[in-house]
Amino acid sequence: MIGTPLLRPVRPAQTRPVEEVLTVLPVQLRNLITRLPPEILEQLEEIRLRQERPLALGLIHRDAFLSPEGNLVSDPEQAYRVSAGDLERTLQLVTGSSLYALEEELRSGYITLPGGHRVGLTGRAVMEGGRVRTLKYISSLNIRVSREVPGLATPLLPYLIDRQVKSIYHTLIFSPPRCGKTTMLRDIIRQLSNGVPELDLPGLTVGVVDERSELAGCYRGVPQRDVGVRTDVLDGCPKAEGMIMLLRSMAPQVIATDEIGREEDIAALEEVFHAGVRVLVTVHGASLAELAVRPALRHLFKLKVIQRFVLLGRSRGVGTVEDILDGRTMRSLGVG
Amino acid sequence: MLKILGSVLILLAGGGMGITMAGYYARRPQELRSLQAALKMLETEITYTATPLPEALGRVAERAGPRVALLFNRAREELMSPAGCTAREAWEEALKAFYPTSALAPSDLAVLRQLGPALGISSMEDQSKHLRLAMEQLGREMAQAEEKASRYVKLWNYLGFLGGLALILMLY
Repeated sequence: MIGTPLLRPVRPAQTRPVEEVLTVLPVQLRNLITRLPPEILEQLEEIRLRQERPLALGLIHRDAFLSPEGNLVSDPEQAYRVSAGDLERTLQLVTGSSLYALEEELRSGYITLPGGHRVGLTGRAVMEGGRVRTLKYISSLNIRVSREVPGLATPLLPYLIDRQVKSIYHTLIFSPPRCGKTTMLRDIIRQLSNGVPELDLPGLTVGVVDERSELAGCYRGVPQRDVGVRTDVLDGCPKAEGMIMLLRSMAPQVIATDEIGREEDIAALEEVFHAGVRVLVTVHGASLAELAVRPALRHLFKLKVIQRFVLLGRSRGVGTVEDILDGRTMRSLGVG
Repeated sequence: MLKILGSVLILLAGGGMGITMAGYYARRPQELRSLQAALKMLETEITYTATPLPEALGRVAERAGPRVALLFNRAREELMSPAGCTAREAWEEALKAFYPTSALAPSDLAVLRQLGPALGISSMEDQSKHLRLAMEQLGREMAQAEEKASRYVKLWNYLGFLGGLALILMLY
C-alpha cells in the first residue's frame, strides 16, 4: 500500500548536525567532506571509515565513495583510501582520547557523541569468561548523523490520537532499518509532550527509555535533542527494566521506547498496559507477517492491545508513512 | 678603588653563576618528585573514576606543583583545541613547551615522551601499567638526580665564589 501525498515527509534540511559530526574527523578528512556541495551535505546520513579501504558516504538515496579531491565517485578504485593513521586519529577524537572511560560502550559496539550522533565500531573482540570484554584493533567506524526533523509526525498524528481520552493510542511503528523509525518516534514524543492544539491534545507526560541514547541523544544525562517539555528520559537503561522504573517513579501518561523485541521487553510492556499507561514503541521488520514470526512479538500480537500499527518506508524519502493499520480490525485506515 | 669595585663584581658574578648551577641540580629531583606525584594522580583519575583525559589532566594540574601544573594544563589545552589533535600530539606539544623551562635532564624527557603514544588509547589496566612504568623510571632518574644533587650543589656553590676569587687573584 502506498502513502498519499498528504503524508509527504518534511525533508531534513539542516547541515548543522553534519558540522557536529565533522568535529570528530581529522582535519584532512574534515576538509574533504566540507568541500561537498551543501545539497549533498544535507543528505549525508553515514560516514564509513574502514582501514585500508575506500572512504564511503551514505546519502539518503544512495551510497557513494569520496575521492581524494573531495568528489563523489562510484568507483572504489578512485576513492580515498582510509589509512591506519586516519582511523587511529578519528578513534581518538571520537573517544576524547579516553578509551578507558568507554569500556561499557565498546562492549556494546558503539559510542554516542554529543548531539546524539552514533559511532559504531568493529575490530577484534577481547573475550573474558565467554563475554565480550572490550574491542581492540578497531578497524571500521560508522559515524551516523542523527537529525531532528520537527514536523515529520504532523501528518501521522491525527491517526494516532484517541480523542475520547485525549491521549495517544497504543502504537507500534515498524519498518526496515534506515527508514526513519527513530526520527519519527522522536517527533511524536516531542509533539505529545508539548501538546498539539490543532488536535485539541494537551501536553502529556512522556517517559522515554533510551537504551542506546539515540532518541534523546543524551550527553551526561541531559537530552541534546528536542524531546518536548514534559518528557523524562531514562538514558542508557535496559528497556524492560527502564519501563518498570518509569512506571513506578515518574507517573508518565505515555511510555515510549525504541526497538523492542526481547521477551522481557514484552513482559514489561504488559505491566505498562495494565497500569493504564499508553505505549509508543518501534520494532525492526518489513511487514506484520515478518513480525508475527518472532516469538516475543507473536505474544504481543496475541494480547491484542496495540491499537495502531504504522509502517514506515522510504518511497518518498526517509520517514514516509506507507500504511497505518487499526489494531482491532487489522484494516488499513485509508492511507492510500 | 676601581680595582676593588671590579673585584667585587667578579666575585658576585662567579658566586651567582655557581648558585644558578647548584639551583639547577637541586631543582631536578624536586621536579621529578612532583611529576611522579602528578602521574600518580592521573592514574587515580583514570582507574578509579574513569575521568575523561582532558578533565583528568585539568584536575591533576589543579593539585600538582606549580611548575608541573604548566605541563598538564598545556596538554589539556592542546587536547581541547578545535583542530582536533590526539593525546600523543597534545602531550608532545606540552612537553616541548615545558622542557626548556624545567630542570629536567634529557633522560627524564625521554621517559615522559614515551608515555605519550600510550595515553588514552587503551583499557584502564593498560593505562595504569604505562603510568606505573613511567613513575618507576622517573623514580630511578630521581635517585640519580638526588645523588648528583648531593654532590654538585655544594660543589657549585663553592666553585662559583672560589672561581671568582681565583680570577681576581690572577688579575691582581
